[in-house]
Amino acid sequence: MGSDGQGVGIPAGVAKEDFLAGVRTALGREAGPPQDAYPRLGDGQAELEERERELYHRVAANRDGLLEGLASTAELRGWKVHRARDGEEAIGRVTAIVAAGQVKRVVRSTQEVFQQAPFHQALTDAGVQVVAVARNESQDRETLRRDIIAADVGITGADYAVAETGSVVVMPRAGLSRLVSLVPPMHIALVRPEDVVESLDDVFLLRRLEFHRKGGDMGSYLNFITGPSRTADIEQTLVVGVHGPREVHLVLLG
Amino acid sequence: MPEVETRQFIPASRVSIRDPQLRRALRRVGSGFDGARREAIAEVTPEAWEEWREQARQVKEHTLSNLDYYLELLHDNVVKNGGQVHFARDAAQANAIVAGIATSRGVKVVTKGKSMVSEELDLNRALEGLGVEVYETDLGEYIIQLAGETPSHLVAPALHKTKEQVAELLADKLGVPYNDDIEEMARVARTTLREKFLQADLGISGANFLVAETGTLAIITNEGNGRLCTSAPRVHVGIAGMEKVIPSLQDLALFLRLLPRSATGQRLTSYVSMTSGPRRETDEDGPEEFHLVIVDNGRSRLLADPKLREALHCIRCGACLNICPVYQKVGGHAYGWVYPGPIGAIVTPNLVGLKQAKDLPFASSLCGACRDACPVKINIPRMLLHLRGQLAESQDSEVRAAPVQERIAARGMAKALSHPGWLAAGGRALRGMQRVFGNGGGLGSIPLGPMAGWLRSRDLPPAPPRTFAETWERELADRRPEDG
Repeated sequence: MGSDGQGVGIPAGVAKEDFLAGVRTALGREAGPPQDAYPRLGDGQAELEERERELYHRVAANRDGLLEGLASTAELRGWKVHRARDGEEAIGRVTAIVAAGQVKRVVRSTQEVFQQAPFHQALTDAGVQVVAVARNESQDRETLRRDIIAADVGITGADYAVAETGSVVVMPRAGLSRLVSLVPPMHIALVRPEDVVESLDDVFLLRRLEFHRKGGDMGSYLNFITGPSRTADIEQTLVVGVHGPREVHLVLLG
Repeated sequence: MPEVETRQFIPASRVSIRDPQLRRALRRVGSGFDGARREAIAEVTPEAWEEWREQARQVKEHTLSNLDYYLELLHDNVVKNGGQVHFARDAAQANAIVAGIATSRGVKVVTKGKSMVSEELDLNRALEGLGVEVYETDLGEYIIQLAGETPSHLVAPALHKTKEQVAELLADKLGVPYNDDIEEMARVARTTLREKFLQADLGISGANFLVAETGTLAIITNEGNGRLCTSAPRVHVGIAGMEKVIPSLQDLALFLRLLPRSATGQRLTSYVSMTSGPRRETDEDGPEEFHLVIVDNGRSRLLADPKLREALHCIRCGACLNICPVYQKVGGHAYGWVYPGPIGAIVTPNLVGLKQAKDLPFASSLCGACRDACPVKINIPRMLLHLRGQLAESQDSEVRAAPVQERIAARGMAKALSHPGWLAAGGRALRGMQRVFGNGGGLGSIPLGPMAGWLRSRDLPPAPPRTFAETWERELADRRPEDG
């Protein structure tokens, strides 16, 4: 229970201490930490930083291989992958995707990557309405939400891209609504080479370290996106695009 | 808790076996899910897979033997993240907590992600009783909610329904024209539920894993409904059985490799959504409140019994269902409660009471396929035998499974096997029965008597005209090796 008054109106259930005492009785165990220290909890910040250095070194040494690996795994997971040598080419790719999809409205986040690939003008010239979704003086949350719901495409950057699984990882950022990559029927993710890591372990190592650096705050969410929304709930027949996007594009810069 | 119909296992199985549509649906379980699982394991190599399974088992063993410690760590970190943690001893308490959150926050519409524990609690009924609208948003769950049914599989709840049945259901309940095109039906669900997502004040999710170290709830989904439930409404409530906790964020990588591959053969599901508390001040959007409800509801009984504790390792992938020769024949509903299949045959008797569910531990050929398929190496056959032993030896006549005839027969068998004369007499009696009832072959059925039930669905192979002992006596005993 929160002790700050937020718990008003909610029945108490069992007090934490009583619940834990019940678990201890079932286990026949005294209170206290495990007898054998857990290897993946004991490592402190210095140790994690050492592993972070090793990670960045490993990733940098094999950047091309990882980009290749990401592209082919992502393709298998249902992403349409586009390689772009520079921002100019990325703008061309995005414009082509949007043109092919008979798109009228685009919403995008305001992450850094858009400075590398400023496609706003190109899309507007093509007759597409582009809305940057970020709270500011002129837009309240409800308006933003309506913009996202009305959009045909959502475009975001990525915090990480994982070669092992073909996933794009998004986290809370100023200028990034959770809904941009989820609600419109098409999602385009812009991935920079420096976003790419090798494995799930890499992502979790980096997030753990951030957690320690921020004095124990994980940030409110961490989402792995791996291909389009899909279901096989009727007769085990695959359908893409249930509640999330049915078409997903991964534009890989560099 | 939802109605417990586990006593009906045998009659319900008979009905299921004769249902041709169910037969067709269940055939897809083996070829679809289990085939995909095998391919996924082959891809990573069986050696790597074994290593992951062993690691995962060790993580679960360690966590459960120190569960109080990790629950407290989880609690503290969820609170640090700005969330609230509630502990519930049973279904009534858990439902009251969620109902309290709903009423005190003026909630009118709830969208729900897939959650087996909420099925176990019968949470929807509790909320609907307050006049709150509750929408299941996973397509399979939505279908069975419309049909007023319960899930028949851990990961594919509407597996038992044909597309024609679903099309009729949608036409009937939503007033859309009948159309059994699967893509079209998914589109109808998307459009209908999209509106609800935007109206919902409260999103409820289950939890595949709870990370103690960071106070994080992780859900693993394909449709995106789970992400919507945890992102769009202003309040998010996560509900989880207390065994879902794992120590470290880095343990999650291991389970993310095991769970999707075991469930659907996917390398990773479309979405892994991790929530650590409500939205922060600087976030663009997200729920303003986060509540985590941790549920016991009988789990401490399993925890307290060292012989059954490993049932709590289960990560609900459904691999043991997909491979089980019994599940493949009778389907999920015959098991009579929320958790079907081999793991259900262990969990259910311990959550609803052994005497309510005494047929379930016998719903297995003990072939061991479930143990081999389990990604966390749960020894299901061992526990089924353990439960059978409890049932056979219980002093409580209501718990005891074996009818008096079976106990007499077992005692007779023990006698016969230790007295050659008795055994020979038994053999003669059996051959006599075979002549009377056997139609020239083995024993297929006997209309009456204590053997009738046993033989209704089993054939006793034909007994040879003479036993070995008799042949020895008549033809071989006089021959000496030197006779050639």
